[in-house]
Amino acid sequence: MTLSHFSAVLLFALFTSVVFGITQRAEPKMMIRFGAYCFVLFVGAVIVASWVMYAIKH
Amino acid sequence: MAADAQQIAQRIPGEKSSLPAMVLVAGWLVPGLGHLLLGKWVRALLLFLSILGMFLIGLSAQGKLYSPSTGDILDMLGFAGQLGLGLLSGLAHLFGWGATSAVNTLADYGTKFLVCGGLLNYIAAVDAHSLANGRKAS
Repeated sequence: MTLSHFSAVLLFALFTSVVFGITQRAEPKMMIRFGAYCFVLFVGAVIVASWVMYAIKH
Repeated sequence: MAADAQQIAQRIPGEKSSLPAMVLVAGWLVPGLGHLLLGKWVRALLLFLSILGMFLIGLSAQGKLYSPSTGDILDMLGFAGQLGLGLLSGLAHLFGWGATSAVNTLADYGTKFLVCGGLLNYIAAVDAHSLANGRKAS
């Protein structure tokens, strides 16, 4: 199996967010909200860091 | 005095039994099994799929499987992280899955998937323990 760097990021963010959502909140609705929040933060942080590195190089 | 102790025992269900410890060990050995023993099968399934997914991606990316006996402190820390995978880690060592070193960038990612999968399983097992002893409400 060949993963691109970005697909690896998406899968890592997905699996980690699921575990964080289940373990860090008590109510199912809050679990989904916190999991989605973690996923957005993971992926958003990667995109921001990528553009920062691009800006530093150019 | 005895009535107070009884009230505390009622407020914290399962604290006096061996269930929390059993759930903790079961959740560590098999991802999600602790939650399954508590009847929370949806959470158990999601935890199992997530941690198994991390493990399989780590292996397929040729991630490094750490050994505790190299004398390198970073290797020992990596081993401690991967030990969180429980039986999956044992199977990987038994059958020689995984690489002995990360040879490229993707393999380095694979190593991180394996270590983080183990760390996530520690969190999941402790969560099951907290549910069993009443520290977490539901």
